[in-house]
Amino acid sequence: MPAVREQTVSRPPLTTRPPRRSSGTGRRRPSTAVGRGIWPYVLIAPAVLGTLYLLVYPLVRAVVISLQDFGLRQLILGDARFVGFRNYETLLGDDRFWEVVRRTFLFMAVNVVLIMVLSTLVALMVERLGRFGRTTVLSALVLTWAMPVIAATTVFQWLFHSEFGIVNAVLTDLGFESFHRYPWFAHGPAAFAIVVVLVVWQSVPFAAITLYSALTTVPTELYESARLDGASGPRIFRSITLPIVRPIFLLVLSLEVIWTFKAFVQIWVMTNGGPGDATTILPVYAVQTALSSQRYDLGSAASMVTVVLMSGVLVLYFRQMFRQEDELA
Amino acid sequence: MKLRLCAGVSALLMTAGLSACSSSSDASGDGSGKSTTIDVWLMRDSVSAEFQSDFVKGFEAAHPDIRVKVQIQEWDGIGEKVTAALASNDAPDVIETGNTQVAQFAQSGGLLDLSGKAGELGGQNWLKGLAEPGSYGGKQYGIPYYAANRVVIYRTDLFKKAGIDATAIKTRDQWIAATEKLNTGGTQGIYLPGQNWYTLAGFVWDEGGDLATESGGKWKGSLDTPEAIRGMEFYQKLQALGRGPKDADEANPPQADVMAKGKVAQVVSTPGGANVVIQSNPALKGKLGFFPIPGKTAGTPGAVFTGGSDLVIPTASTKQDAAYTFIRELTGDTWQKKLALAMSYVPNKTTLASAVASDPGAAAMAVGAAEGHATPNTPGWAAVEAKNPIKDYMTAVLTGGDVHKAATTASEAITAAMNSGS
Amino acid sequence: MSTTRPRVRRLPLNAAAVVTVVVCLFPVYWMVATAFTPTRDIQSDNPRIIPETWTLDHFRTAVGAAGFGLFWRNSILVTLSAVLLALVIALGAAYAVARMRWRGRRQFMLMVFIAQMAPWESLIIPVYIISRDTGMLDRLPTLTLVYFMMTLPFTVIVLRGFIGTIPPELEESAQVDGCTRLGAFRHIAFPLLAPGLMATSLFGYITAWNEFAYANFLIIKQQDHRTLPVWLSSFQNVFGTDWGATMAASTLFAAPALVVFLLLQRHVTAGFAAGAVKG
Repeated sequence: MPAVREQTVSRPPLTTRPPRRSSGTGRRRPSTAVGRGIWPYVLIAPAVLGTLYLLVYPLVRAVVISLQDFGLRQLILGDARFVGFRNYETLLGDDRFWEVVRRTFLFMAVNVVLIMVLSTLVALMVERLGRFGRTTVLSALVLTWAMPVIAATTVFQWLFHSEFGIVNAVLTDLGFESFHRYPWFAHGPAAFAIVVVLVVWQSVPFAAITLYSALTTVPTELYESARLDGASGPRIFRSITLPIVRPIFLLVLSLEVIWTFKAFVQIWVMTNGGPGDATTILPVYAVQTALSSQRYDLGSAASMVTVVLMSGVLVLYFRQMFRQEDELA
Repeated sequence: MKLRLCAGVSALLMTAGLSACSSSSDASGDGSGKSTTIDVWLMRDSVSAEFQSDFVKGFEAAHPDIRVKVQIQEWDGIGEKVTAALASNDAPDVIETGNTQVAQFAQSGGLLDLSGKAGELGGQNWLKGLAEPGSYGGKQYGIPYYAANRVVIYRTDLFKKAGIDATAIKTRDQWIAATEKLNTGGTQGIYLPGQNWYTLAGFVWDEGGDLATESGGKWKGSLDTPEAIRGMEFYQKLQALGRGPKDADEANPPQADVMAKGKVAQVVSTPGGANVVIQSNPALKGKLGFFPIPGKTAGTPGAVFTGGSDLVIPTASTKQDAAYTFIRELTGDTWQKKLALAMSYVPNKTTLASAVASDPGAAAMAVGAAEGHATPNTPGWAAVEAKNPIKDYMTAVLTGGDVHKAATTASEAITAAMNSGS
Repeated sequence: MSTTRPRVRRLPLNAAAVVTVVVCLFPVYWMVATAFTPTRDIQSDNPRIIPETWTLDHFRTAVGAAGFGLFWRNSILVTLSAVLLALVIALGAAYAVARMRWRGRRQFMLMVFIAQMAPWESLIIPVYIISRDTGMLDRLPTLTLVYFMMTLPFTVIVLRGFIGTIPPELEESAQVDGCTRLGAFRHIAFPLLAPGLMATSLFGYITAWNEFAYANFLIIKQQDHRTLPVWLSSFQNVFGTDWGATMAASTLFAAPALVVFLLLQRHVTAGFAAGAVKG
C-alpha cells in the first residue's frame, strides 16, 4: 500500500517535465537562478572545509606515512623517517599483492555483474506486479537493505555453520549427502562464494529500489505508442526504457563498483580474509598489513594503490558525469 | 606534539629506570595527599568477578591513596586495542597481555622496562614460560601474572561405565584405545574441534618438531618437517574419535557448552573449563575429572603450551608508581595463592606450586607444566596469530587435503608473517 | 480464455516475486527465529525452520549484558548528530550545485565523488594520530565527525538530484509574490524535499549505526563511550558465541533500523526515485 501511494505522489512532478531531462530543463534552470556572487561559495564552504580537515588532511597524512618507515615504534614514539618510494617498491614487488589485486577485480566484477543483473530483473518484476505484490516485495527489499551489516554478517556465519547451520541441514535433507557437516569456511572457493552471496544480498535492495524508482518515471504513453507501433518487448526495453534509465543505471553501477571495491566489514568479520588468502581483497589486505602486522607504512601504500586502481575503473564514469555537468553549466 | 616530546624524553630516560612522564604527575598526585586512580585492563575470564572485587577491596584498604578502576577487555582484537592504548597520551596504567604478545609491544618502546624491579618481585622463582616471553632484548617488560596449560577433562561416570581407569592412561596409544572404546552410540569419545592449534602444538613438540625455527636471525615456519607432520597425523587420528567441527576452534561453539550437553566423554581444555561446564549443566557436578595429556611414552607427559598472562606498564601511563604498586600486590605471594585457587591457575612462581596441590585440576596441570613450551619469542609471532595459518592448515588436512602440501603452504605463510614486521 | 490467460502469464512473475521475498527475508527471519529458540534446539543436529518451543531467555541475556542501555544511547547520540550535521551541510552544498551557476562547480562535484571513494579503513591511523594530538581520543564527538564525513558525499549526491526535480518555477513564482529567496526555498522547496531528506538520512543512519572500526580504535580508555557495534562484537566473546544470545543481540541491534525503514518505506523509495532520476 505505501509503495503505491508513493508512486502516485512522486509521479506528477516528474512526468510534467520531458523525460529526457538533459538539455532542455538543464540549461534553463541555472540561468533562471540568481546564482552569481558569493552565495554558492558560502553554501559549499562548510562541506569543503569539513572535507579538507576530516578527509583531505588525514589522506595527506596517510600519503606521508606511505613514504615513511612507519611501524608500531614510530606510532608510539613519533620518530618516523622518510624512505622515499621504498614501501611502494616492496608492495609492487610482492607476488602476493598482485594476487590480491587480481582477486579484488574478480570479486568486484562478479559482484557488480550479479548485483546489476539481479536488481534490474527485480526492478522490472516489481514494475509489472500488482499492488499487493509490489508492496510486499518492496517491503522485503527495504527490510533487507536496513539490516545492519554486522548483524547480517553474523547471521550468514550462522546460516552456513558447518555443524548447526540450516543450509547444510536443508541441503542434506534434499539428498546432497556430501553437505552433511560441510565446512564452508574451510574451502577457499566456498568461502569466496558465501562472501559474494552476502554482498549481493545486501546490495541488490538499494540497486533494485533505485532502478525501480527510475522505471516509474518512464511515461506510460511512450510504452503504449511503442506497442501500437508493434515493437517487441526487448525492443521497447532497448529503445525506450534503457535510454531513460541509463543515467541512474550508471550511477548505481558506479556506486556498486565503489562499494564492492571497498567491501571490508563483511569479509573481516566473516572470514578474516581466509582460509589462506581466498577472500583477501585489497581493503582487507591493507588492514591486515597495517593493524595486524603493524606495518602502517605498507598498509597506507596499499590503500593509495587501491584508490588509484578504483579511480581507473571509474574514470569512464567521471567522463560521462563531466559531460552531463558541461551540459548543465 | 606534547606527547612526542614527552615520550621521546621518557624513552631516553627509560634506561636509567626513570620516566619523565610519570614522575611529575605522580608527585603531584601523591604529594597533595589526594588519591590517585589507576586504570587497569584485565582480560576476559582472567579473574572471576568475585576475586576481582576481593582483590580491589583488599588493595585499596592497604593503599588508601590509590583507587583502582578495572576494565575487562576481550581477547578478540586485543592487539589493536593495546596498540591504540600504548600510542595514546593517556594510556591505562596496567595492562594484562598474553605472554606471547609482550615482545612486539616491548620492541616498540611502548612499555616500561621493569628489569630493576625483578629482584624485589622475586623474579628468580618466576615460571620460565611467563618470564621469558615477558622479556625482550635482555630486559624484563612483562611481569608474570598467571599460567595455565591444557589437560584432559573427562567424564568419570562414562569412563567407569566403559571400564576404563583414567589414571592408567599414560601413553598416546592407551589414550586412543580408551577414546575408541568411549566413542560409541550417541557419545563422542572426545570433542576436539579442528582448529585447536595449541593442542596440535603440543603434539608437534612431543615429536621433536616446532612451529617455527630460527637460524641466523631469520625465522622460518617448520610445520612441514617430518616431526611436525607426525604431530598433525596424531591430531587427525584423535579428532576422528568424536564429532568436533573441522573448521572451527574451541570457542566456536564453546566446547564447554558442548560438553555440558552430556554426550562428550573428553575435551582438551584448561582446568577452569570444568567450572563452565558445571555452571551450564549442574547435573555434571562431581562427574568431571582431569588427567594430563599423555605423552608418547609412559615416562614423559605430553608437551603443552604454557598459556598465561603478564602485566605491563605503558610508557604513556601517567601514574607509573601507583601502577607498579598494583602489580607488586597482584603478583605477590599472598594474592597469587588466592588467585590460583579461585581460578585453577598455576601461580606465577615455582615456589608457590604447593598452594594448589589439593586441586585435582591444578595437579594434572602441574604434571604437564613440566613439559611446558612457549610459542616463538619474537615480535613477529603476533602477526602469525593474527592471521593464523595454522588453523587453515589443520582444517585443510582434516577435510582430506594433502598433508604435505598443506604443511608447506602453512609454513610459508608463517615465514612470511614472522618476517613481515619491521 | 480472456480471464485465464493473464493469470497463467502472471504465474512466473508471481513465482519470481515469491522467490525474491523469501530470499530477501529468510536471513532476517532466521536471525529472529534463532533469537527465540532455546539453546538446546539451536545446537541440535537437525535445525528446524520453525522453532518448536519459544523462549525469551536470549533477550534477557542480551539486555542484561553490561552496558546495553548505555551503548544504545551512545549509538543513537553519535548517529543522530552525524546524520543531522551531514544533512544541514549537504543541503546547502546541494542547493548551490543544483540551482546556482558558479565557477568551480564541476570541480566541487568531482571532489564529492572522489570523497565517496575515500579508503576509510586505511585512514584509521592518520585519524587516530590527529585525534591524539588534538586531545580528541576517547570522545564521542570524534566519532560524530568521522561519521559525518563518511556520509556527507553520498548525501550531497542524492540531495542534489532531489533538488533538481523540484521545478525552479515554483520558487520563482513565490519570489515574485514577495518571498525572499530563502523564504521561497523554505516554504516551497523544503516541504517537497522532505522525502528526499528522509531517504538520504536513512542511508547516513545505516552507515553510522553500523560503523565498527573507528568506534573500536578511537574509543580506548572510556569504555562508557563505546557504541553498539563494538558491544555486539564483544558480545560474541563474552557469551562465547552463544548463538541464541548473539542473534538476540543482533535483533536488538537491527530492530531500530528495520522499524524505521519499514515505517518510512514509501519515503525511502520515493526519495530515491526522485534523487536518482537526476543522477
